[in-house]
Amino acid sequence: MLERFMNMDRRIIFLLIALVVIIPTLIPVRLRITVSEPTQKLYDYIEALPSGSNIMLAFDYGPSSLAEPEPMAKAVMQHCFSKGINVIGMTLFPSTVTLADKLMKKIADENNAVYGEDYVFLGYRPGTLPVILGMGTNIANVFDKDYQDTPLSDIPLMANVKNYDQISLLLDLASSSTTETWIIYANTKYDLKIAAGVTAVIIAQMYPYLQTGQLVGMMPGYLGAAEYEKLLNAPGDGTVGLNTASFAHLLIIGLVILGNIAFFIQRRKEA
Amino acid sequence: MKRQVPLALCFLFGVAMIYTQFSPHQYSEAVYNEVIKWGLIISPFALVLAVVTLIQTHTSRIRFRSEHWQYSFIVFIGMIVMVAVGLFFVPNWLLNLLPENVSTALADVQIGPQNPVFVWLYDNVQVPMDATMFSLLAFFIASAAFRAFRARAFEATLLLITAMFVMLGNIPVGDLVWNKVISWLPLPESWVLLEDGTSRMEDGASWLRQEILDVPNTAARRGIILGVSLGVISQSIRIILGIERSYLGGGD
Repeated sequence: MLERFMNMDRRIIFLLIALVVIIPTLIPVRLRITVSEPTQKLYDYIEALPSGSNIMLAFDYGPSSLAEPEPMAKAVMQHCFSKGINVIGMTLFPSTVTLADKLMKKIADENNAVYGEDYVFLGYRPGTLPVILGMGTNIANVFDKDYQDTPLSDIPLMANVKNYDQISLLLDLASSSTTETWIIYANTKYDLKIAAGVTAVIIAQMYPYLQTGQLVGMMPGYLGAAEYEKLLNAPGDGTVGLNTASFAHLLIIGLVILGNIAFFIQRRKEA
Repeated sequence: MKRQVPLALCFLFGVAMIYTQFSPHQYSEAVYNEVIKWGLIISPFALVLAVVTLIQTHTSRIRFRSEHWQYSFIVFIGMIVMVAVGLFFVPNWLLNLLPENVSTALADVQIGPQNPVFVWLYDNVQVPMDATMFSLLAFFIASAAFRAFRARAFEATLLLITAMFVMLGNIPVGDLVWNKVISWLPLPESWVLLEDGTSRMEDGASWLRQEILDVPNTAARRGIILGVSLGVISQSIRIILGIERSYLGGGD
């Protein structure tokens, strides 16, 4: 019996995972969310910005990991538009350009934001370091045109934005180590305020930068997106995703505990 | 000569860029800005190099009939289709030169990365495939955790317990489970209740997760960052001085 349990067919585990993902997605559950300090700090920072400020959103994730950063982007853009804060989008990933462009348009439409006045998408330029450093001197040197091929000089929003001096915050939505690159080059060299919205696997890497203040705030994975939505009082994809992830987490925790109980019983029997 | 010129350039630019970081002089700033511009021009060539390498790799796989060589054809088909759809981009300045009826027609089609075919392929092929690959991880992680995550030694037990608490604190259900378990435990009231009657152990899962991330995790990460940074500095000095030459390729 014990032997059979410990050598359980992995297809049973796959089936269980599928069920705990599908059922909560179809039958949404509202769970109580406690807002963590890094998310609260990011929210407070944006909340304190005056109307007309500029925030830069770096969409530094690929289509493979869009499930976590997209709800974060939605929540933050919603917050910005509601406060009259301008959003400037760009990406360091060539595979994200279409994704980010569509996402910005969708969220802007939902919030009645006008392209060129409330938000703009610059697109992608190759070379991470020259792009980050180059924008510190002059954004137009790096992005002479936006993604729609309009010269920056013809975009009203960009009329008063020359470099990082006019950007109040850069929020890096990342699934890799790009946030550290932004901190090392844009924060250290140009004193640009940086915040992060990162996938769960790289949360732990960010904590030293939060403690030093090099990151003004952070949204940790699905949890961060759901927390931000709670602060906005607008539950969305982050809340749904977190609830789904909750049951998958519980299943994995349960499997590990049961696996260890079986392991100890078997070891005692053998001894 | 093939080695001396790159080594001399590396030394020159390495020293110059270090100097620009510490000198606010206008000439230093001018050099810095100029080098950044050069960097922006040179960077796209890395993409060309990547494409050439990809073509070479898959051509040789097909030629030598390596394992799964047939899939290399799919790489070529995917690349050719996406490049063909994406490259036919007519910039505004060219549209202005074309006859009005032609330029209007072309502008309406939105040729280039915003071409509907390109966007459709991206949305319906690349995004679902990428997302699917990543989603499969959940299944494999669950299976692997069940089979391999065992408290066989002290270190493994420590890792196991820490991981359990961080996972539990990462989800809203975690606090519910924690509060329920705490309520079952026969703990003395003086341990649990605060002066105002609230429980000091309420929502302990998220508190514990935060403590683990804030204290032991940050301490360990900081040590790693310092170690890596010192290694990068020493390696950079070796490269600038020409001691480390492996980036040039081949042997010494």
